Amino acid sequence: MKAADLVDSSFGTIGRRIFWDPAIYELELERVFARSWLFVAHESQIEEPGAFVTTYMAQDSVIVARADDGAINVFLNSCPHRGNRVCFADSGKGRAFTCNYHGWAFGLDGALKKMPKMGLYKSTPGFRMEDWGLRRARVASYKGLVFATFCEEAPSLEQWLGDFRWYLDAVLDVEDGGTEFLPGGATRSVMRCNWKFPADNFVGDIYHALWTHLGGAEPTLGRHGGVIVENEGSYQVSVNGHGWEFNDSFFGNTATMGDRELLRYMRSRQEAITARLGDFRSKMWGSVASATIFPNFSFLPGYFTFRTFQPKGPTTTEIHAWTLVPKNMPDDIKDRFRRGSMRTFSPSGILEMDDGENWEHSTSANAGWVTRNQKLCYAMAPAGEVERDDLPGEVTAGQLSDANQRLFYKRWAEMMDAESWADIPTAGSDARYSEAAE
Amino acid sequence: MSTALDRKPDYSAFPRLSLEEARAAAADLLAMKGARAPVEGQMLGRIERFYRQEARILDEERYEDWYDLLADDLFYWMPLRENRFRRDSRSELDPDSMAFFDESKADIAVRIGRLKSNLVWTEDPPTRHVYIVSNVEAFETGVDGEFETHHVFTQYRNRSEHDEATLFGRRRDLIRAVDDGFQIVRRLILLPQSVLLTKNLSVFF
Repeated sequence: MKAADLVDSSFGTIGRRIFWDPAIYELELERVFARSWLFVAHESQIEEPGAFVTTYMAQDSVIVARADDGAINVFLNSCPHRGNRVCFADSGKGRAFTCNYHGWAFGLDGALKKMPKMGLYKSTPGFRMEDWGLRRARVASYKGLVFATFCEEAPSLEQWLGDFRWYLDAVLDVEDGGTEFLPGGATRSVMRCNWKFPADNFVGDIYHALWTHLGGAEPTLGRHGGVIVENEGSYQVSVNGHGWEFNDSFFGNTATMGDRELLRYMRSRQEAITARLGDFRSKMWGSVASATIFPNFSFLPGYFTFRTFQPKGPTTTEIHAWTLVPKNMPDDIKDRFRRGSMRTFSPSGILEMDDGENWEHSTSANAGWVTRNQKLCYAMAPAGEVERDDLPGEVTAGQLSDANQRLFYKRWAEMMDAESWADIPTAGSDARYSEAAE
Repeated sequence: MSTALDRKPDYSAFPRLSLEEARAAAADLLAMKGARAPVEGQMLGRIERFYRQEARILDEERYEDWYDLLADDLFYWMPLRENRFRRDSRSELDPDSMAFFDESKADIAVRIGRLKSNLVWTEDPPTRHVYIVSNVEAFETGVDGEFETHHVFTQYRNRSEHDEATLFGRRRDLIRAVDDGFQIVRRLILLPQSVLLTKNLSVFF
């Protein structure tokens, strides 16, 4: 099987098999997830030495811990003795992670420190403590977001994100002081869907909002004309499979939370953010928009929900979501975003509740023996879809199109079919944009 | 039938707690430990009947009737649950933390507005619900006509063919006696799940 045979990224067709086939899923774990930089934490979640969170890199459980020297370490949450998890808390603070099974204890860097009756090992020929730590990942941050990979061949995080960093600054670098996740851990829920449906939805599918979210948007937008999305003044941008679709409304997403104080706050920031990021990027901050950092880390400007679509099998996905705000945002406004993102994009949210059933039934219906042989249509490329070369990445004008989704699957197929990282093309950075993102 | 939920209302005019009032209500709920005199006899019977009636109203999707069971100063809270070590000194249930519900009455009205829009495809055909409420305990509060209650629930949902969810939980309420029954003033809903093992909470608790 070649993934490229299932993905036609020029016209835009996708073989339905990629959404449920267990063999394809197994290959994704190896060739997509284990070779990608995956989001693991926001630095604000683990500010003090000894602070940790546990999360997943695809189906591998990992610990993300702050060491005494301030470094952030990411290592497997599985004891190399018999394999049991060594940490069962979602977050906390400590000096060591001790396996419940036989008491092997590991430090904040994952190194094996001690175990009961250590003398038995000391007198074991060939046993060395340093051989049996928790396997460590490469770790790198971009403006508060911590990523990790176990792949030694992968390019640097800077190259992986490439000029997408220039766009990311429209939510990560809108003011001095940086950003933080609001407290309380991840909002977690389970969908019986393939992980790619939510990821492709966020990478470039605003089209669904015009129908899926009619009901969810009715109470807050109904009096103001409902959901309005146009290709005038809107874009899709893509770099290395990462994609962002957006318009120039500045706070169009925020408006759906129905809180006038939040709109007042957004307006109060417009001048300063425009001065910092320029007119074009400033408008991305809270506009009608969605984005995915390949493969499974997505966010919504304006609501500022950031989420991973954690694969738990070919037809099961766990959503882990947090809300990201500027650290210096007033407390009252932070609290309004906490409640606003919960009421729209959480399992109880009036918009997220519209989505799950679509992704679940797309996943299950695609498996039918006859059904699977008709390709899916990712072909939307309206006449207004014009390319722009004055912005980084692959840019099309008009947010109503399948452009980003085609590029997402192009990237997916490239990684699936590549024997090694050397065979995976990576977009070069344009100095104009990479320097601005430093 | 509530007349407040007419088509396209301006929800900014609906009852809403200030941030401080919501914080105070959360603190009160967290402090409710059944410490005062238990309510027994006829009054306990009336309270239990109220919960049976509320469960049936929700099963029958009579959301506007349910809305009328909510007091204007409602605080309605379902915090997230996190797995933490016993030695962890942080309070697991913190009003500043992310939640599944953290609502005033106005926010409930918005949710009902969504359901009433006839545009919610994921509730059409409708979901079938069964609510079971049990282990009802009631206590005096020191305020005439207001009672602290503790109880458990099972909320079963089924829709389409194989789509089902069973949620168990515990509730703490402050209820207030009104002419023809009670109104819910504060409600804390505790699900035991740290990962919600279903895709949504398209349901009221």
